[in-house]
Amino acid sequence: MSPVWLARRLLLMVYTVIIVCVLVFAITQALPADAAQTLLGENASPDALAAVRARLGLNDPVWLQFAHWASRAAVGNFGVSMRTGLPVAPEMLTALSRSLLLALCAIVVTLMVGVPLGIFAALRQGRLTDTVTSLVAYLGVSLPEFVTATVLTLVFSDRLPWLPATGYVSPLEDVAAAIGHLALPVLTVSVILVAHVMRMMRSETLDVLQSDYVRAARLKGLPERIVVVRHVVRNALLPVITIVALDVGYLLGGIIVIEEIFAIPGIGRALMIAITTRDLPSIQAGAMIMAVTYALTNTAADVVYALIDRRIRYD
Amino acid sequence: MIELLGRLVRKPQGAIGVVLLVLLAFACLLGPWLAPYAPEKMDFLGRFRAPGWQNWFGADQFGRDVLSRLLVGARSTVPMALAATLIGSASGAVIGTTSAYLGGRADEFIMRTNDAIMAIPGLLMALLLVSTLGNGAGNAVIAIAVAFAPGMARVTRAVALAVRNQDYVKAAIARGEGPGWVILREMLPNAMAPIVIETTIRVSFAIMLFATLSFLGLGAQPPASEWGLMVADARQYMHQAPWVLIAPSAAIALAAIAFNLVGDGLRDALNPRDER
Amino acid sequence: MRPALAISNYGLDYITSAGPVPVLRDISLEIAPGEVLGLVGESGSGKSSLAWALMRHLPANACEKGGSLALGDIDLQRLTAKQLTQVRGRRLGMVFQDPSTALNPTLTIGRQVTEALARHRGLRPREADALAIELLGHVELRNPAALMRRYPHEISGGEKQRVIIATAFGCKPEVILFDEPTTALDVITGARILDLFTRLRTETKVAALYISHDLAMMTRTADRVAVIKHGLVVEQAPASEIFRRPRQADTRALVAAVPRPERRLVHDRPEESVLLAANQIEVHYARRGLLRPAPPPATNAVDLTVRAGEILGLVGESGSGKSSIARALTGLARFSGDIAFAGRTLRSGDDMDRAYRRDVQIVFQHPDSSLNPRHRIGEILSRPLKLYGGNPVDVARLLEQVRLPASYASRWPHQLSGGEKQRVAIARAFAARPKLVICDEITAPLDVSVQAQIIELLLALRAETGAAYLFITHDLNLIRQIAHRIAVMRRGELVDCLPVEAFDADHVHPYTRELMAASPTPVG
Repeated sequence: MSPVWLARRLLLMVYTVIIVCVLVFAITQALPADAAQTLLGENASPDALAAVRARLGLNDPVWLQFAHWASRAAVGNFGVSMRTGLPVAPEMLTALSRSLLLALCAIVVTLMVGVPLGIFAALRQGRLTDTVTSLVAYLGVSLPEFVTATVLTLVFSDRLPWLPATGYVSPLEDVAAAIGHLALPVLTVSVILVAHVMRMMRSETLDVLQSDYVRAARLKGLPERIVVVRHVVRNALLPVITIVALDVGYLLGGIIVIEEIFAIPGIGRALMIAITTRDLPSIQAGAMIMAVTYALTNTAADVVYALIDRRIRYD
Repeated sequence: MIELLGRLVRKPQGAIGVVLLVLLAFACLLGPWLAPYAPEKMDFLGRFRAPGWQNWFGADQFGRDVLSRLLVGARSTVPMALAATLIGSASGAVIGTTSAYLGGRADEFIMRTNDAIMAIPGLLMALLLVSTLGNGAGNAVIAIAVAFAPGMARVTRAVALAVRNQDYVKAAIARGEGPGWVILREMLPNAMAPIVIETTIRVSFAIMLFATLSFLGLGAQPPASEWGLMVADARQYMHQAPWVLIAPSAAIALAAIAFNLVGDGLRDALNPRDER
Repeated sequence: MRPALAISNYGLDYITSAGPVPVLRDISLEIAPGEVLGLVGESGSGKSSLAWALMRHLPANACEKGGSLALGDIDLQRLTAKQLTQVRGRRLGMVFQDPSTALNPTLTIGRQVTEALARHRGLRPREADALAIELLGHVELRNPAALMRRYPHEISGGEKQRVIIATAFGCKPEVILFDEPTTALDVITGARILDLFTRLRTETKVAALYISHDLAMMTRTADRVAVIKHGLVVEQAPASEIFRRPRQADTRALVAAVPRPERRLVHDRPEESVLLAANQIEVHYARRGLLRPAPPPATNAVDLTVRAGEILGLVGESGSGKSSIARALTGLARFSGDIAFAGRTLRSGDDMDRAYRRDVQIVFQHPDSSLNPRHRIGEILSRPLKLYGGNPVDVARLLEQVRLPASYASRWPHQLSGGEKQRVAIARAFAARPKLVICDEITAPLDVSVQAQIIELLLALRAETGAAYLFITHDLNLIRQIAHRIAVMRRGELVDCLPVEAFDADHVHPYTRELMAASPTPVG
């Protein structure tokens, strides 16, 4: 990995963030919401509205508004919430930390379950275990989060009163309660992620199993156990980083629904509330934070992959 | 075409997928006639009636027949997802093919921007667009189409680039064929198969996404018996009548599975691996 | 004395959806200790299947039809999976066709050599390392201790093959199978691998089954040669005799198809007038980008002239830039420099008008990708006719010209064999009645017998139409049979451009001489 490659990759990330900025600003501009009206309420006088508009710079040309907004956003200032009157960015970051806890738990479960299952299914290709796991994986990727969430709640909270159906407890306050409240949301995300990662790992492992170097290892007289551990699993594990980084994109979308259903005060729920109340600064901050998180994860994944996989030669 | 269908149904996965698709098509085309009751017909004596001979899939909080609502609701779910996918795929395909054909710096610029747009999660993009355009099924379709286009552009470009490097395309360029012939007659027919496969699989995502938007109250609006909406309605009664919840959930899952199975089946049927 | 390897009356079928397909029939071969048996056959003859059968690595749809496979006193077919790991590598080694895929990309070279040594010779890690370094040095790899720590992508194809050979010999097996070990390598690299093999076999007295499609090379490598066709061994003879006195008709046909430079197929002289002159051609594949300098040009100021009716050979190894020249001349790659043709000077692909494109046609290397799979043969051939003002009913005439039945017009490309597809591609080029046809390695993927037919066809078409050829190839023996002049390229530079008669003289470029030495001509 050369410095030039790293520089190009970072530049690409910056470009991504700029494009996302433009998009988020453009979409929120088009929102049928008058910031001044939202602030002052339905009964505000025309004079008061005009004054607020002038103060917020709403009469400036769009590009100037964008320049103001982007320069403030660059230092993490997204303005104050129209709903609560509090600064948006700190609130959103607190929400993000709760979401990240959920996401991290889900990724750990996924790696611990999905990766081994995928490799196992590939090694037993065509047998019953493979067929069953593949069918379950199909079901997993074909269920929207709200269906999985609802069915899981029905089983583990309604029929079997084991877990709380909604709510959030900080792990700093009560670890046991926090785990209980996180269990169903994590399970829900994991069903989909495990199914997806499992399918990718299975096909990856099958490709490695059919490679010439695995055949060569067998024909060297190595026992099957060593062939599998040293030659198959090792190579099949390489793309895990890329797969997981891609799934972060899904996760960010998925938590919007999941936090809504389980009433978790994370960034997804905050965004959902912002969207329904047309709270422009909160929408902008939430969307930007999500996109930047995704861009960061992908860049990090590319860098880690480049460090691990020595085959990639960058010019 | 018939040969392809034959290869598709030879494997059990493909056959199951095709059967499910045919059932879906029946529900969409003939739903209102197949339904035993009118979807809005209330029956207060039959509130939360369990599945049985009167209501095969049970009845909901107003005594409406769940099966009838599902059959009628197919129309407000599956065609919407199909439309969204087709619009998204078509625009993505145009962007991807153009990018591949232009090549060089234009290609790099288009694809980098495309990748940047993909940094916004699909559901978030759809949510933002729906809130801009306003709630409703039609707007949800547009939002999903826009959210799908960048991903489709990426896939199409990869396919188009691979085809462009084939010797028969080089031969056509070398003998002086115009861009119209090269794109339409030499490249496109050979790029179609992967695009069709990808589109089929994406329909299942569209079904889930559309149902999700409706579930969140942003897509189809009551009194439509859209499946996501039915799940949202049934959630509060899940304690009394889980069947009202399970039937539309299963319908969404089966529809998504159907398109997934057919898409994967098409992939196998179009790229037969060698027999070794 | 008991043979090192004995195959008797062995048969093998592959079960396909269309029923069982016989692959090997009644094969009986014996290899004495220390002997090298060459197994020669064209693609699909079953020669590789025999190697897989011996290694007990058959595909799931294989069905053995009697006979026996014996390695010394071991019946290979009766081995259990556990016993097999004691035989593979330790008593029966194998060297593979493509060294670039036979090594695990994520393990160091050292690890991949020592894992076999440790297992089969019962060595401790440190002893295995020491032995591996010694073995790598013995196969003429420089600085073996450093090489042990490197990864496969950091070394060349020839070096990888040496690593694999070192591993195979290092376990001291009784027999080693070589499955086309030089086919995936460049001519000169392949010749050096062959020299290594010859040295190691005299040193170790190992017995070997050497599989190849190249009869000429085999006569220099093997003690005895067996010719296999459609799963049957048609002839076995000492290597020195197979070329001189082939007894069977099949062997005679194979021998006749092998290119031999002393047997010229073209006897006329080209005209003096220059048809095409390329001056200072440099081919560029990418421009400079953001934070990325432009890559160096694929060719370095190449000058080339083709006379009317001439066959100009363009020879070089992979990556020498010979195909880039073809792309530049047909406007498929960006180039600097200029091309003089028919009184005009072209400076870029945009200058190539219909008349130029009509006069200069190209035939590509891979028959599978040069015909659009969604077009019927008739449509493929009628397109240039329409474009250059021919009559679409001429399709039948074109097919006849390349010795194909007129009924092929309604077929799809996938219904044709590789040789037939290449004939269609040639017909498509000749539909334009060109003055120059560029043949870019068009015989490389074909068997020698098919190659000979294609060459015969090209020469007949030239006699009919008077077209000139720019014939790009890596096969020096083949091009010396047909070319008037031969240009030699190496790493983007044109190193030699000589009349074919001058090739035996002393003043050729050292690289050309090396290339000639590496091109095996048949012994006998």
